[in-house]
Amino acid sequence: MTHHAPDQDSRTLSAHFARGFGLAYTGLMRALEPPFAAIQKRVGIKGMAYVFVAPNMIIFSVFVALPMILNIWYALTGSNRLMIGERPFVGLDNFSALLDCKDYLDVNSCKQDRFWRAVHNSVLFVALQVTAMVALSLVTALILNGKLRARGFFRAVFFFPVLLSPVVVALIWKWILQRDGLLNALLLSSGGERVAFLHDASWSFFWTVFVSVWAHMGFYALILLAGLQAIPADLYEAAEMDGTPKWRVFWRITVPLLLPTLLVVVILSLIRAVQAFDEIYVLTGGGPGTATQFIVQYIYETAFANQVHLLGLAAAASLLVAVVLMVLTLLQLRISYHGKTS
Amino acid sequence: MASLTLDTITKSFGQLEILHGIDLDIADGEFVVFVGPSGCGKSTLLRVIAGLEPATGGTIAIDGEDVTHHSAAARGLAMVFQSYALYPHMSVYDNLAFGLENMRMPKDQITQRVQTAATLLQIDKLLQRKPGQLSGGQRQRVAIGRAITRNPKIFLFDEPLSNLDAELRVQMRIELSKLHKDLKATMIYVTHDQVEAMTMADKIVVLRDGRIEQIGKPLDLYNHPANKFVAGFIGSPRMNFISASVTACSANHVSVTASGLQETILPVNGTGLAQGETVSLGIRPEHLELDAAGEWTLTVDLVEQLGGTSFIHGTLPSSEALSIAVNGQTGVSHGQPIRIRPKPGMVHLFSSTEGERALPPSSPRL
Repeated sequence: MTHHAPDQDSRTLSAHFARGFGLAYTGLMRALEPPFAAIQKRVGIKGMAYVFVAPNMIIFSVFVALPMILNIWYALTGSNRLMIGERPFVGLDNFSALLDCKDYLDVNSCKQDRFWRAVHNSVLFVALQVTAMVALSLVTALILNGKLRARGFFRAVFFFPVLLSPVVVALIWKWILQRDGLLNALLLSSGGERVAFLHDASWSFFWTVFVSVWAHMGFYALILLAGLQAIPADLYEAAEMDGTPKWRVFWRITVPLLLPTLLVVVILSLIRAVQAFDEIYVLTGGGPGTATQFIVQYIYETAFANQVHLLGLAAAASLLVAVVLMVLTLLQLRISYHGKTS
Repeated sequence: MASLTLDTITKSFGQLEILHGIDLDIADGEFVVFVGPSGCGKSTLLRVIAGLEPATGGTIAIDGEDVTHHSAAARGLAMVFQSYALYPHMSVYDNLAFGLENMRMPKDQITQRVQTAATLLQIDKLLQRKPGQLSGGQRQRVAIGRAITRNPKIFLFDEPLSNLDAELRVQMRIELSKLHKDLKATMIYVTHDQVEAMTMADKIVVLRDGRIEQIGKPLDLYNHPANKFVAGFIGSPRMNFISASVTACSANHVSVTASGLQETILPVNGTGLAQGETVSLGIRPEHLELDAAGEWTLTVDLVEQLGGTSFIHGTLPSSEALSIAVNGQTGVSHGQPIRIRPKPGMVHLFSSTEGERALPPSSPRL
């Protein structure tokens, strides 16, 4: 009688699985061979490349390319009709309506003052959020790159918010910041006064910046951390032998060598800040008033939420945002290409 | 320029002790090479001297001053790294000047020092280039230049030639030796290449497993290895070892037999050896010769003809491998049995116990 150790049994079991999988794979390949062979006969071996990318291209066309083209068409047509056939062609009217301003710095002088208020809000938001994001993620990356107790734990902690859905992030912070929320409870219990964090325009704006930085900082810190770790350790040792003061090591070695990564982070966070919508929409709903209404929310509300659906105006506004994002993306591509070649 | 004294230096990483009490004196102006196989602790020892790693125990003194707890910069040493460690975003000039700027040296003085070093190393035409635009050899020069400009007390080299190809390595070896003579500086050089050690060193320190096996001049190590490890490490191709047993010994001779070999009488002081004791005979390939009347028979496995020298690799009747170096070219071919004999007075004897010490320890050559 033969005796199998449990270890051996599990090994035979996994061997069975491997064989089963192998058989299934070979079977599938055999079944697929005749049709693919037939296709290859028709299109030739070079044509097969197109056959293999076709499924992806079809999905991309239906869900990305087609909506983009439709968006352009909507921007050039008027009325509140949904069906494209029923929409009259108006040329660039939607754009001229959006850009009709006596003074671009004075929102009230603009025909579409809600658009321009959203633009102003977005510009301020982008400036504050990107600055805070880059500065904080750089500091975090520098700390996480250093000799730190439980470094792996802290690296994970800073990345966790990135994994959360934007709606979850917003709901968590709403629970903390609302009138009867955690923060006010803490303030009251320590003898302070209740603050209307989400109903005061300035506070509300501050928290939109804070929450979006909190939610995404881990991602940028991770990119910067990778950039820092790509700097060879012996450069720092050479600098140490050279008796270089710490601040000089940072400015003369770390910053220049991290610069390509840092620029990518700046551009990526710029793009995302321009696109900011979901967390803020759930957290403040754009309020109080229009204090935290940004450009994407304006587009969404103009097209779908307001009583009259001004699809043409929204489409024109989204094209303007697209142009801004395209410029930023090109910049990012150039920088990362440059970073790779130099 | 300075002298260096290490006193029972130990270094541990966590529970693991890498260096087990290193004692070493390096005189002013000496070129010392640390050599040993991978993982012997030679690079760690250099980094401890540099101040990049703190010593776990023991003291380091430069010119008699205890610097054990000084920072790397305060020790006034300069290091040339294996990877060169040039700042990739700075020009060659800035790389050379960087350390001097840290000292807040006046600009004109910096320029002068950089120029002097650049001229010495023939990189004065490359000062405006970035490291990425230089060849391996040029980068190596810049790395050395960076050390020179700082006018350090001691130069430390961590396998500086291992990233260069063979031809350039030979050239740089010669230049480094010249540089040492010109600068008259104390230099410590780490390598795993015993040829670099033999050709450049005033003094070689052979390390194994975090301990010093032997310290001495290159030829002393070659002629009088303290133990089987040093004997095998120094010299290329490496020394042959044949295990044998002592059949008779007296104050003026030792007789040994090895399986398949005739009894050999070695004219050496055999005091302390016992009849029947197992020993190793050590004979360098260049100290064996072909001789039709030779006592030993070798079956040839492989012949390497280099033109000026030939290496014959074969097997003894005891199935121990043996190599012979012969001057010039040889007609010996594969599979052929040949008769050989050791050149008189060129056989080393090593104990098979006690760390395989040379026997007798005072004068290992027989």
